[in-house]
Amino acid sequence: MRNRAAFLLLVAAFGLGSWVGWWTVPAVAALWGWLRPAVPRPILSAGIAAVTAWSFWLTTDVVWDPRAAAVLANQLGAIMRVPPPALYLVTLLFPALLAWSAAALACAAAGYSDSRPGGSR
Amino acid sequence: MAASRARLVLAGAVLAVLLYAGASRVGPVPALGGFLDPAGGAWALARVADLPRRSAARIPGLGAPVEVRYDDRGVPHIFAASEEDAWRAEGYVVARDRLFQLELQTRAAAGTLAELLGPNPRIVAADRTARRRGLGRAADRIFAGLDSTALIARAVRAYAQGVNAWIAGMSRGELPLEYRLLGARPAVWEPRHSLYLFHQMALTLAWDDPTLLRLRVRGLVGAAATEALFPLNSPIQEPIQPNGEAAPRYDFVRPLPPPGVPDTAAELVADARERAGLGLGLSQRRPGDGDAIGSNNWTVGPGRTAAGRALLAGDPHLELTLPSIWYEIHLHVAGGPDVAGVTLVGSPGVIIGFNRNVAWSFTNTGADVRDLYVETVDDSLRPARYRLDGEWRPVERRVEVVRGRHGAVLATDTVYFTHRGPMLREGGRWLSTRWTPFEASRPGEEFLRLDRAATVAEWLDGWKGYVAAAQNGVAADRAGTIAVRSTGKYPVRPGDGRGDELREGSTRAADWTGYLPLELYPFSLNPPQGFLASANQQPVDPRMNPRYFGSNWYSPWRALRINQLLRADSAVTPDAMRRYQTDPGSARADAFVPLFLGSAAALDAGGRSDDTLRRAAKLLAEWDRRYSRDNRRAMLFETAMGQLTRLVWDELVPPAARGDTAAEPVEVPAEAVLLELASDSTSAWWDDRRTPLVERRDAILGAALRRGLLLALRDLGPPDGDGWLWSRAHHANIYHLLRIPALSALDLPVQGGPSTLSPSPGRGNFGPSWRMVVELGPRVRAWATYPGGQSGNPASPRYRDRLETWLAGDLDTVLFPATPAELPAARTRSVLSLTGRR
Repeated sequence: MRNRAAFLLLVAAFGLGSWVGWWTVPAVAALWGWLRPAVPRPILSAGIAAVTAWSFWLTTDVVWDPRAAAVLANQLGAIMRVPPPALYLVTLLFPALLAWSAAALACAAAGYSDSRPGGSR
Repeated sequence: MAASRARLVLAGAVLAVLLYAGASRVGPVPALGGFLDPAGGAWALARVADLPRRSAARIPGLGAPVEVRYDDRGVPHIFAASEEDAWRAEGYVVARDRLFQLELQTRAAAGTLAELLGPNPRIVAADRTARRRGLGRAADRIFAGLDSTALIARAVRAYAQGVNAWIAGMSRGELPLEYRLLGARPAVWEPRHSLYLFHQMALTLAWDDPTLLRLRVRGLVGAAATEALFPLNSPIQEPIQPNGEAAPRYDFVRPLPPPGVPDTAAELVADARERAGLGLGLSQRRPGDGDAIGSNNWTVGPGRTAAGRALLAGDPHLELTLPSIWYEIHLHVAGGPDVAGVTLVGSPGVIIGFNRNVAWSFTNTGADVRDLYVETVDDSLRPARYRLDGEWRPVERRVEVVRGRHGAVLATDTVYFTHRGPMLREGGRWLSTRWTPFEASRPGEEFLRLDRAATVAEWLDGWKGYVAAAQNGVAADRAGTIAVRSTGKYPVRPGDGRGDELREGSTRAADWTGYLPLELYPFSLNPPQGFLASANQQPVDPRMNPRYFGSNWYSPWRALRINQLLRADSAVTPDAMRRYQTDPGSARADAFVPLFLGSAAALDAGGRSDDTLRRAAKLLAEWDRRYSRDNRRAMLFETAMGQLTRLVWDELVPPAARGDTAAEPVEVPAEAVLLELASDSTSAWWDDRRTPLVERRDAILGAALRRGLLLALRDLGPPDGDGWLWSRAHHANIYHLLRIPALSALDLPVQGGPSTLSPSPGRGNFGPSWRMVVELGPRVRAWATYPGGQSGNPASPRYRDRLETWLAGDLDTVLFPATPAELPAARTRSVLSLTGRR
């Protein structure tokens, strides 16, 4: 239960942080990695939480105005010369990798030897 | 341990790369962080695609609350207590929908595009050209000299407050897509930027100058022939100001002077100008474009309408872009103007439209308002002084620095000015240019006065001081008065008064001596014929008013056609006005098809025909001379006309290129001149000098038709196949402002062809930019549309929601509520409440 709450908290932090700017993704992930909460696979969790948060934003847009979201996806895809699904994929991979890498480095900087809960300093 | 280290290295590398890619632009790819961020990045544009049902904002300086109601066509109806507040709200709503366009247009005039778009060599070249033309400098000077209480000064200040209030309050998600792609932020909008826009429009409408054209042609065929091919007056007289004649008059010269001895001096000057790499900027028209583009407007008095009410149609043709050059708006000021129509993005007020009493629209006069002077300077490379009336006068120098996105210097030019205007070195000589838009003291102010007019008389009075670009304005009011006047400052020149030759600049005696008085402007009020129309033709019959307004006028095909339609209809309805706007009939085809057929028959009778020509004539005779989308014969006529131009005007191909069958003439005379030539079957111009034979008219017309068929068969397939469909051959191409294909609307099949009322030149990127019909009854009613939509956000349903209507030649009913409550709730899409700063 605590693990789930911590994860949801992290998702919320990523989601709200995006309101401020994309750069909050590595910042939040680094903080998460530094604090290293007692959850399974905290570094992986950071990546998944970031994807979840950005997915939430994207899904909200699709639900809010499916026509506009589809039109925009097609236009952005055409401009970037990638299929729209690929652009969505890039949009989700970007925070995932950012969060994972920042959390991993912060974890290491904090002296944890591995990313599993209970790992020793 | 090693695996852990490797993972750390990988994580470090990934983080470094992503942080860099997230924060920095890599080639054409924008910084990914801000771009992909779903909360405030490009994806957020879907969230702001449509207007919220209700919203509120503050605009500094607003005197009283303003209510803006958007109808279901996305048109904001602004209800304000004062004109200033209306303009503030206008700036706000225009910026809300078209912020990127506002900035881009302004920068084009100022020569600062590279600061926004980056160091692309073409962009830098465009900036350098703009600065050499001195548009921004002139706008700055005019703005600095504006009385702060002047109407236009108050308007542009208020407008800027509105624009900047939007910029200041805009959320991250509302940043237009183009800024995201460019990695840029909107610049603060300054009041003088509106003046830049007016100069940019003047550049589009009034920069063309026939001087170079004439030099080029003189260099090939001599002065007399040039005068005949590019005459001062149109050979077909169907003027804007009715001349009392019931039909067009054909002032054909017979015989046309034959090709003469090349004027080598003129050729040298023309070559030098072209080598100068556009210099002050050559014509934006390409050979052959002239007759294919243009605008229409007409008005019908109550005596010739079905309902006994004056009707007015506006149909300005400009470059088609997404978003459109126009923005539709309604400004209602308590106790003041109550006006609807379209405004240029960046201009306060309404430019073309109607109020409760008067409606109006414009076409371009195409007057010659730019002259070139050959200056004598003290230093052929870096002049400091120029000679005037036997004395040396200082040249004003201005160092123009073209900068890139982050202030990097991309180019530095010294631009020189005489008292006439900017000066440029061309082929060892220095030419200065004088241009009327530079001499306006309050550009744009007249449009604000038009918005207030209660009668046609007030409307005419409101823009009597208008300077440039000269416009043929038609107006009608509820009392049934109709009028047209070609208004703008027309320079009065010494000597023969013409402005289409280079002038010697070393004496003030060459300078303009003033402007034509208003009473000599082409004008008509309630003419006996009961209607008035303009389509960029020569504005006044030279027999009635021989003053020089310009030369090389567009062939009056569109004028002939609309006058033909209006003469034939004594009970015109608004729907007929709408239909006329996209009428596929062609006076040009009516003129030339019989010539082709007559020549083919003559050749056949003389035993000089063949099966191909006979087949071509049969196919052409099947044509109804209409450019409807499903037509399968218009293409044959167009290919034959193209061949005719090549065969007839071989003398206008530079000698060095005459061996190349694909070589183009340096300039193509108006088709009205070609028709004039056709009245003389043995003119020397018919001879194709590239052949040993001496050809006459019928041989050339027959050869053109024959070749036209062979080309059509080769390129389009069999005559009854789909390749010959007009809709397959002719398209409108509406490009996004940055020419991004995904944001453009391309290859749109349209009704109309070269020189029909809805013309479309080959590239399809010019055309009807706003179509409007207004009925001036007890309650004014209007119908209108334009290609595109109100929003600049490509994700918005309002980005291109009007395209289908425009393509079909239909119009939407324009809502014109007198109060906010009068706008039906079912048609109210959004309400915006604006207040001043607390």
